[in-house]
Amino acid sequence: MSVHSHTADDDFRAGTRQQTAWGSVMATAFALGEAGAGLFFVALLVDLLPGMVLGLAMVLLGKGGSHLLHLGQPLRGWRALTRINRSWVSRGLLALVVFGACGSLQVLQAWYGPLPQPVAWLGAMLALGASLVIMVYQGFAMAHSAAIPLWSSGVMPVISLVYALLGGVLLTLALATSAAEPAIPPATAVLLRVAAHGLLLLCLVAVLAMLHAAWYGSAGGRDAVRLLLRTDYACWFLPLVVGAGILVPAGLLGFHPDRHGAVLAATVAALIGFYAFRVLVFKAGTYDSALSSPQPLLR
Amino acid sequence: MARWGMVFDLRRCIGCNACAVACKQENTLPSGVFFTRTLSEETGEFPYPSRRYIPTLCNQCREPPCERVCPTGATYARADGIVLVDSEKCIGCGSCMVACPYDQRTRIEAEVLKNGLFGAGQLTPFETQGYQRFRAGTVAKCTFCHERVDAGLDPACVTTCPTDARVFGDLDDPDSRVSRLIRERRGRQPLPEKNTDPCVFYLD
Repeated sequence: MSVHSHTADDDFRAGTRQQTAWGSVMATAFALGEAGAGLFFVALLVDLLPGMVLGLAMVLLGKGGSHLLHLGQPLRGWRALTRINRSWVSRGLLALVVFGACGSLQVLQAWYGPLPQPVAWLGAMLALGASLVIMVYQGFAMAHSAAIPLWSSGVMPVISLVYALLGGVLLTLALATSAAEPAIPPATAVLLRVAAHGLLLLCLVAVLAMLHAAWYGSAGGRDAVRLLLRTDYACWFLPLVVGAGILVPAGLLGFHPDRHGAVLAATVAALIGFYAFRVLVFKAGTYDSALSSPQPLLR
Repeated sequence: MARWGMVFDLRRCIGCNACAVACKQENTLPSGVFFTRTLSEETGEFPYPSRRYIPTLCNQCREPPCERVCPTGATYARADGIVLVDSEKCIGCGSCMVACPYDQRTRIEAEVLKNGLFGAGQLTPFETQGYQRFRAGTVAKCTFCHERVDAGLDPACVTTCPTDARVFGDLDDPDSRVSRLIRERRGRQPLPEKNTDPCVFYLD
């Protein structure tokens, strides 16, 4: 019988232990960063200015602001740029700086007239690259940590990317179809809807893969999966992450692909599911017990 | 150069947590902050149940994941292997906290420094002098009492342990007591699968 099959209920008992270092504020930063970067990425590709502006604001104000709220010493935050060779947090901050500069350039160009072609092209490429890094680096930062079995999985960056692109595609669709005159060509809208269905399927597979890897990884991983599927967070995880985040958008987009209300509802549901996923995966992040292979003194 | 390490004899530990108290006193740790804990664990089933105690602290890993993920270089390892945090560089992002497999790092929040041990906002002279070593919003952890070690003393928890369950010494010296204990009693590292190569060993 494993003696590590429970989460320790106080600080002086052995057992697996839930992490508390990263909470709802960091979850908000992660969710806004990924959805915002995804929105900018897709909006830039389909040339949708409102999407680019909203994506930029979500990343710079939402993600940046949440990170500053989380930091214990926010005024020293710039120091996180000093270890790009080793830390994913450093790489993410660099991407954030590049994204802010080049993304703003793209938006300003749309308002104030085109820049010289090479500059515009370089700026667009850098903005796309930086948004791609922002979409995935948080997954790498989590996967890089062997401490928390639920996070320490190669599927984490994939989840980040898939959720980011899903948020970007759905927000782009919702913004583009909000006016009487659609802002993107009908063929592009069809393509985005097909992409959304594919991404929803990928989300489901990626989340299942994350749970599978954690369950068969270690005692801490199993306890995390129990928290998500059976005990403390099951009443949130299944209805919000799987139901609202994946099944509801798939149904709405499948049955009412051309109705703006349905697209908007699907977008809101998917974003709620994504945010719930981020919060719950942080809350359920569980350390393994101090000694992994118990050897009882009495036999 | 020595490579400092510690050995916990699980047969000797009685779970009194005198080590935790000594650590709090030596390091003036604020309320709720512990650099070392002795965890209790029930094992076995009726009619042969048992309880054992597992001392824990920062394992001063040779491959410290906290150092690897730190975005500012605030976490660093000395030549003798003791891993420290430079509170002037730490930004309190918590990356090291979620990277440490042993959950041995704490962010010192401003409120605990302000409220003091008695929660009334009035600091005792002991706290006033001791809290100067902390900066609010930065991460702190066990340092193997590096000031004491540099002065040729054992860490406070080792000196205090009434059952000699904690042994401190040079892992690179094959004749040191810690090396002999590890060799003779097959000392094992905590969570070796995490590939951190801890400098702390447990004797069953």
